[in-house]
Amino acid sequence: MTERAVHLQDFLAEARAGRLTGIRCGHCGALAIPPKEFCESCQQREWQTVPLGGAGTIVSYTVIRVAPRGHGGEVPYGVAVVRLEEGVSLLGRIVDIPLDALKSGRPVCFRPLEISGQLLIGFGPA
Amino acid sequence: MRRVAVIGVGVTKFGKHDRTSAELFAEAAADAITDAGIAPRAIQALYFGNVTGGETERQLHMAPLAATLLGLPTVPTTRFENACATSHVAFRHAVMEIASGVSDVILVGGAERVLNVPTESATEFFAYCSDASLEQPAGLTFPGVFALIARAHMDKYGTTEEQMAHVAVKNHRHGKLNPKAQFQKEITLDTVLKSAYVADPLKLFDCCPFTDGGAAIVLASEEVARKHRRAVWVLGTHAATDTMFVHEKRDLSRVTATERAAQGAYRQAGKTPADVNVVELHDCFTIAEIVATEGLGFFEPGTGGLAAEKGWTSLGGKLPVNPSGGLKAKGHPIGATGAAQIAEIVTQLRGEAGPRQVDGASTGLTHTLGGNTATVVVSLFGRD
Repeated sequence: MTERAVHLQDFLAEARAGRLTGIRCGHCGALAIPPKEFCESCQQREWQTVPLGGAGTIVSYTVIRVAPRGHGGEVPYGVAVVRLEEGVSLLGRIVDIPLDALKSGRPVCFRPLEISGQLLIGFGPA
Repeated sequence: MRRVAVIGVGVTKFGKHDRTSAELFAEAAADAITDAGIAPRAIQALYFGNVTGGETERQLHMAPLAATLLGLPTVPTTRFENACATSHVAFRHAVMEIASGVSDVILVGGAERVLNVPTESATEFFAYCSDASLEQPAGLTFPGVFALIARAHMDKYGTTEEQMAHVAVKNHRHGKLNPKAQFQKEITLDTVLKSAYVADPLKLFDCCPFTDGGAAIVLASEEVARKHRRAVWVLGTHAATDTMFVHEKRDLSRVTATERAAQGAYRQAGKTPADVNVVELHDCFTIAEIVATEGLGFFEPGTGGLAAEKGWTSLGGKLPVNPSGGLKAKGHPIGATGAAQIAEIVTQLRGEAGPRQVDGASTGLTHTLGGNTATVVVSLFGRD
């Protein structure tokens, strides 16, 4: 390994500060969201940290209307899988986009979101 | 490897119960042992599945408890947890223990009890089966996961909410014929289409219910099973895993673990999808049945919705799917579901399914999916 591993805590701390961090395989170039030990594609362990811009498009989305305990006060809320421009995807909560304006292919941009001290990956208007 | 057979099955009524998970399992297990016609002490191991007992009943270490309540306090036990695929995973390991020659007779199954806690708590506990670092904080629920799959399937193939509703109507029609089912009432397309959205595009009637229940099966080596007239053979059983992260799924319109588990099971059994006469598959949501019928090789990708609409998967259709009513109408006690599906297929292959019998069924398939489509087990069964 050429750099220290990006643990979940590092990823979340960076995200809280508004920065998304990916890892790129130094052997085959595959891009992933950390944490990850071996590269799924080439089975090597040569990750390098790469900043992700946060811009992407919605791959699929839903509007949650029945929430788990702790999220009841937040319904209805949107959750989407977003493919980032760099080619890796991330799941997050929709922020500041009318729920009836959600559609696959819509451009969005990452923004950190904190609810009751818990960090969420958020996606707002591009 | 030795051949393995199912020689006994037992399932409790599915629905709301005031008994504990361990009690529910013990009842199903006693029925399975009686059905097998063996002495309880012939059981050499218990493979037991339960998912949420720590949360809903403050009860862990449930496998020896279930054995104690069953009256077999000294049998070695193991508890399995693989989300909704739990007892099908347990089944596969029990098959391997017998096939390898370690044991001759094993009791396998599971139980779940969640109707003793509020819906929002049950929704939370089930969500523990998704990733706790990113997905749970985002408020993703299981209906939410399958809503993402449904949207992707609709975008890619033009699958409609009405086609999904046909799955619910069909499984409720089947459930009416199953005295153990949680719901034994027919519903209409309108009932489904006018029900409230839970996670768009999935509505209340696209979702299976929360359920209490237990299920058990007795597995035996060929030598033991030869003495049993109603033995049903395990032709193949295969497990596959896919990434836990929804964001890492390569194509949300597919469940690749289903495809890989099915390929492995068909290969082991020497069968193809065309050989299968009856199927119990994991319809936790209507879209899940549509995607599973494609992944198991019964219909081309993108045509599972059409198959539901045309009635091809109905009793009397070309390939009856979920004659028990499926998770949708029979109910889904998650730790028991895999074993309950196997019990239904065994009952069908014995020709003992009464009004829901698939005539002449000789080869059956079970498919159970766990969590964020991360765990899938597929098994094939046949008569001599």
